[in-house]
Amino acid sequence: MANDGSADVVIAGTGIVGCLIAEQALDAGLSVLMLEAGPRVDRWRIVENYRNLPPSLRLFHWDAPYPPKPWAPHLETRKEKEQEQYLQLEGPNARAYLQGYVRYAGGATWHWAGLCWRITPEDMRLKSLYGVGRDWPFTYEVLEPYYTRAEHAIGVSGPSDPALQWPPNAKRSKPYPMRPLPFGPGERRLTEVAAKVGMINLPAPQARNSGVSYHGRPPCCGNNNCFPVCPIAAKYDAATALPKLEAKGGRILANAVVYRIETGEKNGIEAVHYLDPDKASHRVTGKVFVIACNSIETPKLLLFSKNDRNPGGIANSSDQVGRNMMDQPKLYAELELAEPLWTGVGPVQSSSILNTSQGDFRKDYTGAMFRMENFARSYVGAAAALKKRLVGKALDKEIRRLSACTARLTVEHEPLPLPDNRLTLSDKKDWLSINKPNIYYDVGDYVRRSAKEYTVPKLRALADGLGATSFQLSPEFFNSDHIMGGCIMGADAKTSVVDPDCRAHDHHNLFLPGGAAMPSGTASNSTLTMTALALKAADAIVDQLRHG
Amino acid sequence: MEISSLLIPHHLHEEVGNRIGAAMSALNPSLSEQVAGLLAIARNKNARIVEEFFPDVPEGPLKETALAIISAWYLGVVQDADDAEVFAFEYALMYQPTRDVMTIPSYAISGPNAWPADAPPLENMPDF
Repeated sequence: MANDGSADVVIAGTGIVGCLIAEQALDAGLSVLMLEAGPRVDRWRIVENYRNLPPSLRLFHWDAPYPPKPWAPHLETRKEKEQEQYLQLEGPNARAYLQGYVRYAGGATWHWAGLCWRITPEDMRLKSLYGVGRDWPFTYEVLEPYYTRAEHAIGVSGPSDPALQWPPNAKRSKPYPMRPLPFGPGERRLTEVAAKVGMINLPAPQARNSGVSYHGRPPCCGNNNCFPVCPIAAKYDAATALPKLEAKGGRILANAVVYRIETGEKNGIEAVHYLDPDKASHRVTGKVFVIACNSIETPKLLLFSKNDRNPGGIANSSDQVGRNMMDQPKLYAELELAEPLWTGVGPVQSSSILNTSQGDFRKDYTGAMFRMENFARSYVGAAAALKKRLVGKALDKEIRRLSACTARLTVEHEPLPLPDNRLTLSDKKDWLSINKPNIYYDVGDYVRRSAKEYTVPKLRALADGLGATSFQLSPEFFNSDHIMGGCIMGADAKTSVVDPDCRAHDHHNLFLPGGAAMPSGTASNSTLTMTALALKAADAIVDQLRHG
Repeated sequence: MEISSLLIPHHLHEEVGNRIGAAMSALNPSLSEQVAGLLAIARNKNARIVEEFFPDVPEGPLKETALAIISAWYLGVVQDADDAEVFAFEYALMYQPTRDVMTIPSYAISGPNAWPADAPPLENMPDF
């Protein structure tokens, strides 16, 4: 077994969390080695992959341009019959955990929407305020400066007018570095209609360069292709960070699948072991170890690494590793409209309704985020019109009508951290003989009650306001790809996996930052919060290595 | 290309047409006979646009082939299924009827923040 080197900070995962920690460590003069399970790829390759997808795979099959390597499997969305299914899912809402992430260098930010909502002070105190879920072990005031740093680190555009900011009741310590992106016609119309039914459609803070270049990346020009890939890197994705990390002396090893975390004296982490595509094993030592592989891959690795001293898995004396799996259960409504709601202008998502996620009702049922989808519906309209066997002028007219006068409204519900929503190791193994993840998922009554009494009626009200002539609700809950909770944060080591700095309670030199640490799922996209936690962990890591 | 021009009243790229022809022939050995059949119906009616002869195309293989040719030009694939070869994206006609508003994904027509919040009337139809 080769001993492949060493660094002060060893990071598994080159997504947004790993990259932000790497940069801060390098800037502090520490050495950094990053291990990425999947390959490095060039942007042009992904754009070509996307453009060569048949039209039916260009929407919603967000992993289709990212065929996984055999040693780094992720959800396949290219083949209809996904026989080599990687994620083993069970439970009444198995479908809602069909998570699409990308095991490539750069991670899931390759195909994220780019939305950067902050959570609210109330979101962090569900237990105290509403008697459900968990409280965060610190307040919004502690998190706020990290949000600011995150927004500047990745380049977030957002409103300077406090009336348009979120959270509505928490003062920002700094303005957004860039102004909001303009709405297209659909979003403008939706904003007007939504206001009439008490739903406030705000311009979304987003990691998309607005009007100017930022950190060497160009401004958004409305390619309307944010997922599955921004052709020009106007949307932040972590792959753009990698050359900068190497320029600062960071080492990045691609196609290196970490499969074991090795403990040693005082149950500290001694090393991690990884397999290369030839299935040869390598050992890497370090002073501090960061596992930032997302809230499925990180708990999976911790459980797989169990040893005599840690029989329940690394960092798992609490038995919470792999539990509390969260995502926002999603419903959507397909509408036909009398008047156009033009999509396809500007980014694919540029606004959301969040006032519906807050309120006293949260003691009874959950809150949610609403939005219209802004991806161009031209293919959707064309496919429907062609099915009608129209030709000539009638075909063109119907394509235009069905593209413009149909819409998709989405609602994403806040989940609760439920211990039975759990990741364990499946008996099925992958190409490297690592157990595939098995996840049991049930959205729970707190969510179901909300759908019945609150969110679906609200969707109908919004649809009515838009003049919908038909309304088709999705048959079940779907995934939102915001994987959270599997290494939950708390002050008490008996009931949580990591401390307020995302340091494992059980191992003084192991950090597990990201979505996995979030004690509440909230209704909004998790990435900015994950990024803030990454920076908080980075502060703790640098402090720990400088001062012992 | 002749039958395509008759079935679709728009500017058609010859390169795309050649690829459609090749892909469809590979899937359908009767393609050239069917195309000849469609052309005969069109000539019979002195048709110059599709509306002038399409009602006379009988249900069955001839009509299905005509619709398949139209679909291929609009979608840019012969079959919209996994592993299909894509021979047109930017030139796929499906994007043209809304080209005045909706971006062809990944082919931006705008500049930094330069897209409008106004849209032309639904009754408009871009030239193509």
